[in-house]
Amino acid sequence: MKDRLKKISAVLRGLSDASLWVAGFGLVAMTAIVAYQVYMRFIVNSSPAWTESGSIMIMSWFIFLGAAVGVRENFHMGFDVLLYFLPPAGKPWLRAISDVAILAFAAGMVFYGGELALRGWSVRIPVLGLPQTFTYLPIVISGALMCLFSLERILLRAAGENVDDIEADATMTAD
Amino acid sequence: ASAQTVLRSSDTHPDGYPTVEAVKKFGELLSAKTDGRYSVEVFHSAQLGQEADTIEQTQFGVIDMNRISIGAFGTQVPEATVTQLPYIFRSADHFHNVLDGPIGEEILKAFDAVDVVALAFYDGGARSFYNSEKPITSPADMEGLKFRVMQSDIFVDMVGALGANATPMPYGEVYSAIQTGVIEGAENNYPSFDTAGHAEVAKFYSLDEHLMVPEVLVISKVVWDGLTPEDQALFREAAKESVAAQRELWVAKEVESKAAVEALGAVINEVDKAPFIEAMKPVYEKYVTDPKLQDLVARIQATEG
Amino acid sequence: MEYWILFGVFTALMLVGTPIAFCLGIASFATVIYIGRPAIVVFQQLNSGVSAFTLMAIPFFIFAGDLMMRGGIAARIIQFAGSIIGHVRGGLGQVNVAASTLFGGISGSAVAEAAAVGGIMIPQMKARGYGADYAVNVTSMAALIALLLPPSHNMIIYSLSGGGRISIADLFTAGIIPGLLLAAALMVTAYFVAVKRGYPTEPFPGFAKAFQYFLTSIPGLMLIVIIFGGVRSGIFTATESSCIAVLYALLVTLLVYRSMGWKEFVHCVTGAVRTTSMVLFIIGAAASFGWLMAYLKVAPILTEAISHLTSDPLMVLLLINVLLLLLGTFMDMGPLIVITTPIFLPMVTAFGVDPVHFGVIMILNLGIGLNTPPLGPVQFVAAAVAKISVWDAMKSVWPFYGAGLVVLGLVTYIPALSLWLPSLFR
Ligand code: NA
Ligand code: NA
Repeated sequence: MKDRLKKISAVLRGLSDASLWVAGFGLVAMTAIVAYQVYMRFIVNSSPAWTESGSIMIMSWFIFLGAAVGVRENFHMGFDVLLYFLPPAGKPWLRAISDVAILAFAAGMVFYGGELALRGWSVRIPVLGLPQTFTYLPIVISGALMCLFSLERILLRAAGENVDDIEADATMTAD
Repeated sequence: ASAQTVLRSSDTHPDGYPTVEAVKKFGELLSAKTDGRYSVEVFHSAQLGQEADTIEQTQFGVIDMNRISIGAFGTQVPEATVTQLPYIFRSADHFHNVLDGPIGEEILKAFDAVDVVALAFYDGGARSFYNSEKPITSPADMEGLKFRVMQSDIFVDMVGALGANATPMPYGEVYSAIQTGVIEGAENNYPSFDTAGHAEVAKFYSLDEHLMVPEVLVISKVVWDGLTPEDQALFREAAKESVAAQRELWVAKEVESKAAVEALGAVINEVDKAPFIEAMKPVYEKYVTDPKLQDLVARIQATEG
Repeated sequence: MEYWILFGVFTALMLVGTPIAFCLGIASFATVIYIGRPAIVVFQQLNSGVSAFTLMAIPFFIFAGDLMMRGGIAARIIQFAGSIIGHVRGGLGQVNVAASTLFGGISGSAVAEAAAVGGIMIPQMKARGYGADYAVNVTSMAALIALLLPPSHNMIIYSLSGGGRISIADLFTAGIIPGLLLAAALMVTAYFVAVKRGYPTEPFPGFAKAFQYFLTSIPGLMLIVIIFGGVRSGIFTATESSCIAVLYALLVTLLVYRSMGWKEFVHCVTGAVRTTSMVLFIIGAAASFGWLMAYLKVAPILTEAISHLTSDPLMVLLLINVLLLLLGTFMDMGPLIVITTPIFLPMVTAFGVDPVHFGVIMILNLGIGLNTPPLGPVQFVAAAVAKISVWDAMKSVWPFYGAGLVVLGLVTYIPALSLWLPSLFR
């Protein structure tokens, strides 16, 4: 059972890393688009209309992908107030409650984000011309990843793995 | 049903704005007609979200009603898109004659396809260009200037057809952008030109009146379907009655805003619209391809006023 | 009941240690289900909350900060700054405030400012023996200067919410003295805290050495010139300047210093993605929470309540400040300005308070709210860059809050601080 969990865990790690790469590519693309916007407006004197909504859409994609990675790498910020008062044995329980909360919200992202995405198929985003579905798809994908990652933590913890004290190699910014 | 139902209605304009006051008036009329069974609460200033968001919220029944600029529906309601064509309305009278007549009814009806019921049109005034450089009297004056416009294909193409640059930009950045020279101007009606403070940095307001945007009061289909036919009739009645009040408020607001921007030093000039209208041919060719819409455009143009 | 669910679920999860974004999200989710409205709105607002062009400054400045750190630009600038001011205790704290003041003159966003200045200063301050909490607190409080110095888009929102008859030019000018006052107060505070903590000083290396440091840091210092000059002369907007910062940092790192390989570049990119998605996901979830607060009319109800408490002008201003501080802990600035201005403004103008003066009070007050948990995006950015928990920052923030509150008090009760400068231009 535990071995199988660890195998699945390895797969999820790959999924998380892939998401991070896609998100990183999004950040670079967004840099290029905004730079292009400035260049076209100031040098060429002919502003492209799509750059604003295009870069915003890319930003929401990489934020939601990055947020899903954050669930697996445990880098979302919380306040840990009760941990100061409870004995150390309480920690896994608190963490499990948090993971269930994340799972519930992520399920909502998939379900309701999906409803928004489906309905958006017939609505065009002004200027970009894409279906509105693209606006809401990141929520669905991010929610699905968060479901997997939070379940992984819940199951590994239940199997006795220490998932809470290991510092993930989450390089938030430069050291 | 003796219990009182409070309908929540969204508006992006601030409290006191003619559309906000009109929806409040609608609420009062409705309350009187239904013996207090229904009343309306207006959430002004985009508290519940920007227009695109609140349209979705109305469609899903999260909020009950919405006062919205017709342009915010984008291409979802093709008949409504026609009213967004540049210079389609010749004057305020023309605008009113079209919307008060059978064409107006036809456009209101078209909203049924997108899960809302449209009750009435309100006035949104005429939008004109303003800039920091010079008075605009002909399309040639617009050559090379950068104007911030709303994110909509028609407006982008309209500005392009006039020889200027349509520049995408968040509304909140426009003031500073004009001040530093990132862009030269933007476009809006008198009240927004006034309240956004843009007259402080772009004093040339040229009355080309390229757009007369109908505002529309809609109610969620979810709510509508729960009303008795008698109540539905009362809702429509109250909405129609609120229109007269809104038009009065609008005229007063325009007079007030015009005085205010003039006090700030705005230089207002009249514009001969003919060359501007002439320049719109490619825009009409691009956006009015459906024979049904071509017919609608022809009928609007044939309307008196 | 719905109020209890919204705030109760939030508080309970926060105590448990659930990440703040999910506390906000689940509380909104639970509340919307309780009131029987389609829950879809929670997720719509989650998306809308992050879909604003101006928010782009956050990823860009964090990315630029990372590039400047790893590429050696930041180290050289700080080395130069240290050689000049290093003999003063807490010298880098002063440099931080000075940088924020300078940057505040082009940006109107406190979060963007925390990302821009914090991204460079915080790691360098840590490396030079300053406490991470100290670096975070200086950065996050100094970031509020951006709200007061022109340009400030929140002042535009305020003018609009007040009916549009309050001159934006006057509001912009009115913020200058309070902004500089805040800068001065923070510099003094930074000095005393540094003395108390015994932060290291560096001996003055001599003019020759300092000049040499200056020369090597010129490519980096040029970034300041480019950004400032570019925004002021209308080449790009304040938000776009964040993207220019990324490009310039890349250019200097790759071509001038030749100090970065592919691996480090990837590290910068993924690091910036992690930090910004953490912060912006909170901002998105806060939009859902804020939507529910607006729908349930939390702010208007509280505001109405205090309007009946007293009619003494000084007390009214005090109560308004307290209430705004409270609301500001939970809600973002923009929506709060929009909701409370139409109620507060007529109240205070009835007592003869100038609308321009009240705008400055409101902006500074709500700005402090951007720095208070549970919802303090400015503090979150700074803490994320410093890699410490918000708790650790909170423990030692009090002197800096104190300085901010003293300035708020002065600005509230001495109208001339705000109104004198605009009066010169009329
Ligand atoms: Na500023
Ligand atoms: Na706060």
